[in-house]
Amino acid sequence: MSSTSRKALIRGLIIGGLAAACLILPFVVETGLDAMGRRVLAIFGLAVLLWVTEAIPLHATAVLIIILNILLISNQALIPFAEGSLDEGRPIPGYATFFHALANPVLMLFLGGFFLADGAARFQLDKSMARVMLRPFGRRPSLIMLGLMLITAVFSMFMSNTATTATMMAVVLPVIVALPAGDRRKIALALCIPFAANIGGMGTPVGTPPNAIALGALARQGLPISFLLWMVMIVPFMLVLLAAAWQILDRLYPCSVKELDLDIRASFDTSRPAIIFYATFALTVGLWLTEPLHGMNSNVIGFVPVVILLGTGVFGVRELQSTQWHVLWLVAGGIALGSAVSASGFDSWIIGLIRFEALSGAWILAILALVALGLSTVISNSATANLLVPIGMTLTMQIEGINRVQGAVFIAVGASLAMSLPISTPPNAIAYSTGVVKSKDMILVGAIIGAIGWLLFTWVAPMVWDALNLMPTPVAPPPAG
Amino acid sequence: MERQVVILCVEDEAEVREALLRDLQPFSAVFRIEAAVDADEAREVVESLDGEKADLGLVLCDHRLPGTTGVDFLVDLNGRKGAREARKVLVTGQAGLEDTVRAVNEAGLDHYIAKPWTPEALQAVVRNELTIFVLAGERDLKPFLPVLDAPRILEAIAQRASDQ
Repeated sequence: MSSTSRKALIRGLIIGGLAAACLILPFVVETGLDAMGRRVLAIFGLAVLLWVTEAIPLHATAVLIIILNILLISNQALIPFAEGSLDEGRPIPGYATFFHALANPVLMLFLGGFFLADGAARFQLDKSMARVMLRPFGRRPSLIMLGLMLITAVFSMFMSNTATTATMMAVVLPVIVALPAGDRRKIALALCIPFAANIGGMGTPVGTPPNAIALGALARQGLPISFLLWMVMIVPFMLVLLAAAWQILDRLYPCSVKELDLDIRASFDTSRPAIIFYATFALTVGLWLTEPLHGMNSNVIGFVPVVILLGTGVFGVRELQSTQWHVLWLVAGGIALGSAVSASGFDSWIIGLIRFEALSGAWILAILALVALGLSTVISNSATANLLVPIGMTLTMQIEGINRVQGAVFIAVGASLAMSLPISTPPNAIAYSTGVVKSKDMILVGAIIGAIGWLLFTWVAPMVWDALNLMPTPVAPPPAG
Repeated sequence: MERQVVILCVEDEAEVREALLRDLQPFSAVFRIEAAVDADEAREVVESLDGEKADLGLVLCDHRLPGTTGVDFLVDLNGRKGAREARKVLVTGQAGLEDTVRAVNEAGLDHYIAKPWTPEALQAVVRNELTIFVLAGERDLKPFLPVLDAPRILEAIAQRASDQ
């Protein structure tokens, strides 16, 4: 025990030392930043340190960023900016700007998503649907795997990738156990669920938190993307990537038996609350997909199931309390960091440090996605998006000839493509902990899928988007905040 | 894993103790297994856990022990902070009705395994009790997936876990 506590002490000292360096260096080293930029550099450095090391929980770092923004750079700053210490024309943000991040409209979209996902789990809609949807895929091993992957991907478009993986793993584990010892298909079956969940999460704005972080940043720049447009842009390529993943797993891990037995008995909850929930689910998704018809934006629609389910008593105080607020606050921390970064000119400064002139716009975007992929392979996907989106947004705003939406979208997609290590995503961790999958299998297939996804999204997709003229044109940004 | 979960076997007969430990092997990859020959030694094990990052998760206890009974030991254990939540199982052929009733009412007995046991039956009981124990605590459930009740563990993960 003493050696582990000594290790913890050393780790604490190192992180503490680095944190002190993050907080002190910006004020002693000549950077060319004004007073606000220096303070934001300190906050950003600390955010990188804490989100990478997870010395404190991710959501704790998020709220720390919010209070540091308020206490260091807002009109409530403990040490106000001295006369002339700011670049000309730089306004000081109101402190409420940073609190507003906690109720950013995109969080309402996510809150709605959480209500739908929690309800689906509570009424076991996910389990029953999975079994019904598996029926048409028959008994052949490769078709069953395709079915499992499609269903997992569709679910994780609306539920968290992690919950979807846990639910679908429960469907697939009995099949894995029933296969003869040494059958390589066991590995494919255990890998196909987390991979399909990671890929599926890209598919809708509510699929996974990085999407929300990207959408929040785009909305701040006056580039709102509708639920439907996001799906039209992403889903076709997501399906291609899913098919590629299926083929890779199917070929690398052959099955020794001709048919698989799958439990496809399903029973649906038909109680009154369950029926209200099904109707609410259908209504919400229906509204999300028909935005052009009624004009209600997806954030507003996200609040609709919250109101209906609380109003009808289907969800009570207990369900409200068990909502995963920490995920919303993690996203809020990223949004607050983004506001600070763009209010202070820190973003332009950091971009000025790197020589982008030598690269074409397409390459800059592709590298951005690659950095997101690499970073989120080892740290949390949301933390990756929180750190990269503010910089990526500025980058794409400054470079001529590239579409401004792509920077943020590519970072979100890149974060979801990271699936080569057990620690890359919670779904990978679940699959790994079953003991069926070895790290080397995950690294091999995960890296191949990541590479294909990167090529597909950063090189092929933009051509198709441009050809179909899908990219939104900027509208006036909302008032500061 | 943040905190270890400990299985404690209390059995005075060496042969029976070894049989128990052998049948618990499937759990040894994830759980720490401790054995004690009498109630005093068992108490020492429980006390030693206080200073460590370890929780008593399950006690498998014989009834006839040197100088005391398994039921007395379990009643005593049930009053201890940190051991109250542990799942308690009697493994015996010799506890009378009165003792057994006392074990249920005062020691919070969770299960009674009659000797002789089959490895499969013992493992099923242990799996179920440990699943209940780990689901009740706030902890990372993933490491338990290979050895405990996978569908229940996965359902709990689905309810608690989130994308981050």
